[in-house]
Amino acid sequence: MAHDRRVTERTILHVDLDAFFAAVEQRDRPELRGRPVVVGGGMPDQRGVVSAASYEARRFGIRSAMPLRTAGALCPEAVFLPVDGRKYQAVSREVMTILRRFTPLVEPISIDEAFLDVTASRALFGDGPTIGRTIRAAILAEVRLTASVGVASSKLVAKIASDLRKPDALVVVETGGEAAFLAPLAIQRLWGVGERTSAALAELGVTTMGELAALPNDLLVRRFGRHGAKLAERARGLDDDPVSEGAPVKSISHEHTFDIDTNDPVLIDKTLLAMADGVAGRLRSAGLRAATVQVKIRDSAFRTITRQRTLAEPTDLAQPIWRTALELARPEMRGIHVRLLGVGTSGFAEREQLTLFSEEAAGEDGRRRRATEAADAIRRRFGDRAVTRARLLGSGLPAPFERDPMKPLERRTGMIDRTTDPAGDSGRGSGRDSGGGGRSRGGGRRPVA
Amino acid sequence: MNVSVMQENLARGLSVVSRAVSTRSTLPVLGNVLIRTEDAGLKLTATNLEIGITYWVPGKIEKDGAITVPARLLTDIVAGLPSSERVELELQASNTLRIRCGRFESHVKGIDAEEFPAIPTAGERPTTRISQKVLKHALNQTTFAAASDEARPILTGVLWHFEGDQLTLAAADNYRIAVKTIATLDPVEETSLVVPARSLNELARVLNDTDDPVEVMLAPARNQVLFHLEGIDLVSRLIDGQFPNYQQVLPKGHTTRTVVDRDELFKAVRLAALIANAAANIVKLQVGADGGGVVVTAAAEVGDNEGLVEATVEGDGTTIAFNSRYLSDVLQNVTAEQFAIELNGPLSPGVFRPIGDDTYTHVVMPVRTTS
Repeated sequence: MAHDRRVTERTILHVDLDAFFAAVEQRDRPELRGRPVVVGGGMPDQRGVVSAASYEARRFGIRSAMPLRTAGALCPEAVFLPVDGRKYQAVSREVMTILRRFTPLVEPISIDEAFLDVTASRALFGDGPTIGRTIRAAILAEVRLTASVGVASSKLVAKIASDLRKPDALVVVETGGEAAFLAPLAIQRLWGVGERTSAALAELGVTTMGELAALPNDLLVRRFGRHGAKLAERARGLDDDPVSEGAPVKSISHEHTFDIDTNDPVLIDKTLLAMADGVAGRLRSAGLRAATVQVKIRDSAFRTITRQRTLAEPTDLAQPIWRTALELARPEMRGIHVRLLGVGTSGFAEREQLTLFSEEAAGEDGRRRRATEAADAIRRRFGDRAVTRARLLGSGLPAPFERDPMKPLERRTGMIDRTTDPAGDSGRGSGRDSGGGGRSRGGGRRPVA
Repeated sequence: MNVSVMQENLARGLSVVSRAVSTRSTLPVLGNVLIRTEDAGLKLTATNLEIGITYWVPGKIEKDGAITVPARLLTDIVAGLPSSERVELELQASNTLRIRCGRFESHVKGIDAEEFPAIPTAGERPTTRISQKVLKHALNQTTFAAASDEARPILTGVLWHFEGDQLTLAAADNYRIAVKTIATLDPVEETSLVVPARSLNELARVLNDTDDPVEVMLAPARNQVLFHLEGIDLVSRLIDGQFPNYQQVLPKGHTTRTVVDRDELFKAVRLAALIANAAANIVKLQVGADGGGVVVTAAAEVGDNEGLVEATVEGDGTTIAFNSRYLSDVLQNVTAEQFAIELNGPLSPGVFRPIGDDTYTHVVMPVRTTS
């Protein structure tokens, strides 16, 4: 039977670093190797959750997003470490740089995983499995971390493959063998199958992808609507979603997941301020001004909403971004516990709303801008932590870093000369997020393990 | 306290004062409405400390007294009662208000009237009087231009500049400004104050379309202004600070002038705005392109739109970009059959004047575009 032409012609890799945060700590501190390591918001006697657990720790049943207290009870001898976001971000950037040697089509989906379309690179570097092996070897040699790689004809299958025999594994799914490869696997491994869908499928007696693929299409459509037809296609390994390193990035955003879901307005205000600060800093370092501010709020039930507003005037200052984010977020906070907050900006335009009272405007915004520029200069010289807002002192908020997709700066903006790429770019944009509110695919938001 | 009032009078009063109720105050009593027997009736008062509204409802007093009860609850209860019926309000033990009407009886727990902040009401001699109709009209043409964000508090207010028997109102948010001059019935010594636009929106709501005057009492010492009309007192705090010198930003001349039908232009702008929504709300006006008329265009990733509005054009002709919201605001709020738009090229402010009314000027700053 002829396969879908679009699918058969591609070679897609999914590269996923193993137990990333914990692995970086074990790499840098040899005494931790072979020992259970838990990276999280604090010590086991504190409230907070596990961000990442080494494979040694996982043997005790420790999992991401588990309360630290539970982890401590499961494995009292584990080493508990705080999250060092900046370090992981730097390492992540090194890894992405390695990946870009093999193809320009790299789509990072979180701090520790990326899709690569190497279809056109096969002539240069060998077939998919060969490139997979070369990449694993390069990451091990240069960054001293292990990665699991899935090789397949689509993003969907490649991701499931890389996950299958973690850690430190290469799993190849031959073209044409996708459906057979997926058939015995649990349906929860599919994108778009959460608790609700899998429960509904269980009612139909479906627990594996093979069983799902065998269901009549019209039954799925009746039960799940359009989503249903897509499900069956995916269960057969059909997925033509392209790897997109993307057009110039359309948004710059920061997110923060609280260790403990919160409804504390002061903490929420401060978190929004910290993120507005981070986003504004990145706008300035990229030489951009953004016209649209959006907030993303996920509650303890994992319901995610986004709200956005266009500013009268594009900005790269924290104050207007924060103020807008607050106004957008406040009405949504009633009666919920917030798990995740995000502040994003988009609409990078050269358009400029002219002002009436330029002289007076310079009084308020101008003072603020001069203060901001002075602080930026200090940070460039003495480091990011040299200056901070009094309001954020002692707030216990981690320095902002992103688990978001990352892109080279020049591609983010589409307007920056490579040679003037400012050193120490403090982050990356996330093209995928620009739609706002869309379901994050490919597990981009799962707790990093 | 024991008093009887007509349901529709009470409902109307509550709907007026509840506009001043504080919705998110740390002071619970500010979420309440104060009910006090006075002058052969009932006085309803609510405040959020920026604005206070007092409304007098005629009624029959059996026994004097006062209480505060949750405004929202009382308003909803009274609204649900049969109209044209008498409502009897009686204060019972432990600050509970009994509301009886026909076959209905409710009890609402309140807070002692003593805890309610003192709200000044009229009593002094008015500083001046203004026709309600004239002031209402002027407010509707100006307050929308005030800033809605608190970045520059002074711009959330409307400047009131009295001079002789003229009052000039000016509202601006740094991107546009609306200026309107009206007559006062009594001359006032030259003075300026800035009143929160939010308060003025409430004032506009209670003003009637009549020539009957509203009395204005300036109390700069108390940092307040008070408005009095039949049965209603509205007091507002003033905003401290210097309103920007707007006169120097009003253009003195123009190189292009066009006269358009308001409805036609508004229609074209609204259509273009649907597209412009996706592109920072930018719409362009091509004035005098292709042999006259005004072409309104918008383009974004989702698509584009073009509308031709018939117009007379004098001068050079030009193309200028505006935020569609600012255009919609002025075209919606300023009622005139025709508008004159005066321009000085793409980067200078655009002046909008209703034809036949030289007491109103609206200036909108353009948007600089690359294309």
